[in-house]
Amino acid sequence: MSRDTAPKRSPRPGRLRLLALLAPLLLAACAAPSGPAGFAPVAEQVQARTGLRPVWPRTPADEAAAEARSAELLAQPLGLDQALALSLLKHRGLQARFEELGLAQAELLQATRLPNPSLSIGRFRQGEETEIELRLGFDLLRLALAPWLRPLAEAEFAARQQTLAAELLAHLAGVRQAWIEAVAAQERLHYRRQIREAAEAGAELARRMAEVGNFNALRRAREQAFYAEATLRLAQAEQAAQARREALIRAIGLWGSDTAFRLPERLPPLPAQPAERPDIEQQAMASRLDLQAARQAVSQAAARLGLTRPTRWVNVLEVGFERELPDEGPNRRGTELRFELPLFDSGQARLAQAEARHRIALQQAAQLAIEARSEVREAYGAYRHAHDIAVLHQAELLPLAQRIVDEQLLRYNGMLVGVFELLADARAQVAAVEAAMEARRAYWQAEAALAQALIGRPAVLPVLTESPSAVPAAAAGGH
Amino acid sequence: MVSRRNFLAGSSAITAGVAAASVSRVAMAALPEPAVAPGTATQPPLAPPNGRPYRPVLTLNGWTAPWRMKDGVKEFHLVAEPVVREMAPGFTAHLWGYNGQSPGPTIEVVEGDRVRIFLTNKLPEPTTIHWHGQRLPSGMDGVAGLTQPAVPPGQTWVYEFVARRPGTFMYHPHADEMVQMAMGMMGFWVTHPKGRHPWIQEVDRDVCFLLNSYDIEPGSATPKVMTMLDFNLWSWNSRLYPGIDPIVARQGDKVRLRVGNLTMTNHPIHIHGHEFFVTGTDGGPTPPASRWPEVTVDVAVGQMRQMEFVADEVGDWAFHCHKSHHTMNAMGHDVPTMIGVDHRGLVDKINRLVPDYMLMGERGMADMSEMAGMPLPANTAPMMTGTGPFGSIDMGGMFTVLKVRPDQAPGDSRDPGWWRHPPGTVARPWTGAAPEPGAAPGSAPAAAPGAAQAPQPAAQPGVEVRVRKPQGGHGGH
Repeated sequence: MSRDTAPKRSPRPGRLRLLALLAPLLLAACAAPSGPAGFAPVAEQVQARTGLRPVWPRTPADEAAAEARSAELLAQPLGLDQALALSLLKHRGLQARFEELGLAQAELLQATRLPNPSLSIGRFRQGEETEIELRLGFDLLRLALAPWLRPLAEAEFAARQQTLAAELLAHLAGVRQAWIEAVAAQERLHYRRQIREAAEAGAELARRMAEVGNFNALRRAREQAFYAEATLRLAQAEQAAQARREALIRAIGLWGSDTAFRLPERLPPLPAQPAERPDIEQQAMASRLDLQAARQAVSQAAARLGLTRPTRWVNVLEVGFERELPDEGPNRRGTELRFELPLFDSGQARLAQAEARHRIALQQAAQLAIEARSEVREAYGAYRHAHDIAVLHQAELLPLAQRIVDEQLLRYNGMLVGVFELLADARAQVAAVEAAMEARRAYWQAEAALAQALIGRPAVLPVLTESPSAVPAAAAGGH
Repeated sequence: MVSRRNFLAGSSAITAGVAAASVSRVAMAALPEPAVAPGTATQPPLAPPNGRPYRPVLTLNGWTAPWRMKDGVKEFHLVAEPVVREMAPGFTAHLWGYNGQSPGPTIEVVEGDRVRIFLTNKLPEPTTIHWHGQRLPSGMDGVAGLTQPAVPPGQTWVYEFVARRPGTFMYHPHADEMVQMAMGMMGFWVTHPKGRHPWIQEVDRDVCFLLNSYDIEPGSATPKVMTMLDFNLWSWNSRLYPGIDPIVARQGDKVRLRVGNLTMTNHPIHIHGHEFFVTGTDGGPTPPASRWPEVTVDVAVGQMRQMEFVADEVGDWAFHCHKSHHTMNAMGHDVPTMIGVDHRGLVDKINRLVPDYMLMGERGMADMSEMAGMPLPANTAPMMTGTGPFGSIDMGGMFTVLKVRPDQAPGDSRDPGWWRHPPGTVARPWTGAAPEPGAAPGSAPAAAPGAAQAPQPAAQPGVEVRVRKPQGGHGGH
């Protein structure tokens, strides 16, 4: 829209008063938000959805405060909220994104300021004649369009803010997932350590049985096989726990001695009742950032369309002030106004483009809304089922497995079964416990996925498939 | 005797759930009222109120069915029905039986009696009664399909024959026999001799019981009817020691024991302190010249044995099946032997998986009876139990005590309590110095007095016992 002013004759200094008239306008543009002010809406968006306020330390004092807060968080077992808060303080990638927002804000300033008037001075010699030309050019169109252009630029910046908020929320969702996985893996590891000890007892007992002649090699080998398997499963759990912990460390953004944090021993207990969300679709419509962004894209396209309509034929409008100071003769001064004749390009194509962009934005927003409704329904269904399944494990399957061991213990008391049958049922109970742990992990993941589905496009939800039986088969009797 | 009406009024809840077929009251009106078992305690002998006189038997933890005389015929009424039998204190089985109990009531008649037995079937399936060992018309033998149609549920049929020969008999179904006997359908039958019989002696006490076995999983109540050999409950008249009453005698009493075997294995029945003669089998009294003294008689499957002895040794005497597993209650037959296994450091680890686990069997199975009071599955009898005056008896199943007392009233079969041993007649700990081991004569030359001590082979290692495995020829084991 701006065009360089063509070199003309310089304006007289007296006419520079116009410049003075424009000065307050320029200063007004300078008053646009700068620095972390543009970050505040982002922080508010994140806080509104997660309760956590991201911080962007910009001064040594800020940094020291953040460091102190991090140390405080790291001093206790790292619960989910602590992990999330810590990642907001520690993750360098996030900090880099904050800086990028600062960059964008500078660009906004650039965009919303009036273009500088251009002043050129030329000195020309023609034979003995020297001509000094003063020229002051000003992009009048941009000035004229300022009421339209500024909202557009501001909307663009708002979109960047929103993108950053969405990224922050997605990042927090990633931390949440990583935390759930890390705690679940650690819980499984602890359990498998216990199991291996008990398996070791069984194998050792079998060895001593064989030693005094009460067991043959076959039975001894069978008991030892479980021990070997328990050792194997412990190794697998160790590897998984380490990998999950590293994933969490990366998600939070920790290094060095900060990685020595402690995690809680187990995932939180299940809530007694799953959250009832009858209006979850409407909620998603209101709260999803991607939908908000789509809606903004629509209004932005509409705004651009609205701008294009009146300006499509005013391609370039220029105004110039000239003053010519010839060596001889009177000074020449004047004003120049120039615009293109819309003879060949009446802006129809640009109007059509703007209209098409508007329609594209509309269709995309509608499609996104349709998908969002389905996604949030799926996420909610997954959440409800994960809750039901986890409750079933906890309230039915696990107590049944325990009951089986209890009953088997009664039979052991009556010398109806031996210690190895008792151990066999206890092992079956191990499977039930692991399945219940897994169900609890799946519940918390589904809960996190549901929260994410209300913020933006969710991660791919796992389809729950049939798990191996958690109920021990009836122990073989002594027949 | 409790009448069925009274019984049902009081405790119908027990059987209401299991009584299957209903029987028309009109049809029942003309029949002798079926008496109902009075409980699980041994009932005193039923002195015959009419008919030919005889000396009645005592049914261990059982009773004798009353009858009515109708036109010179002894009429009994047996009702085949589901019953609830307490097999031992705290352990109740859901069985099938007759007249409220399993085994059914003992039927006592006299040689030559005409007997009419009404059978009402309140089981969910057809049944019959076979009169084991009796001489009778073929059509009265009670074999479903062969000699009669099976009696359908809800119907009453009648058997009638003359008890032709004296002796010890049984009755049991011969329709779906495997299931119905596994469920406890059986009873005793004694035909007393008419007058004196040269091979049948008068006795002071005449005790009868049936050997039966069940496979009832601990914690459940109904026998597993498909079990063929691996039964876990070995009972006398469907009672398990210590639920079996003692056999009581006055010192000097002549005692007759009648035993019938309706299990699927044989039982060497063994008496302590006395020896007996087998005076009768399924075939009747044995000729006196054929008898020899024994302390154990094997009662094979489907057999009857009649043993007689004079209870002349006072005291408490064990009386049991000599298959030692048969003097145990429910136990695991595949429990590994833990004897001699060092458990140090292992119990804690196992406790992490099974917190209430306790070590047992390290020294043997007597732990079991020492740990009386440990929680067991809800409905079962501890494997070994029974406490005597000196502690745990470590016995269950087919075991009871013969109690011979000088001062027991004649005919009184009430438990006189534990025997009070005269001083010096009980085994006791040796408190003196350990006696020198005596050398067998001729095994080593005695050192000549005054001669130098023979050098001892001090450095010689102890004799090592080596068991040599048989070589070859056992590939199939």
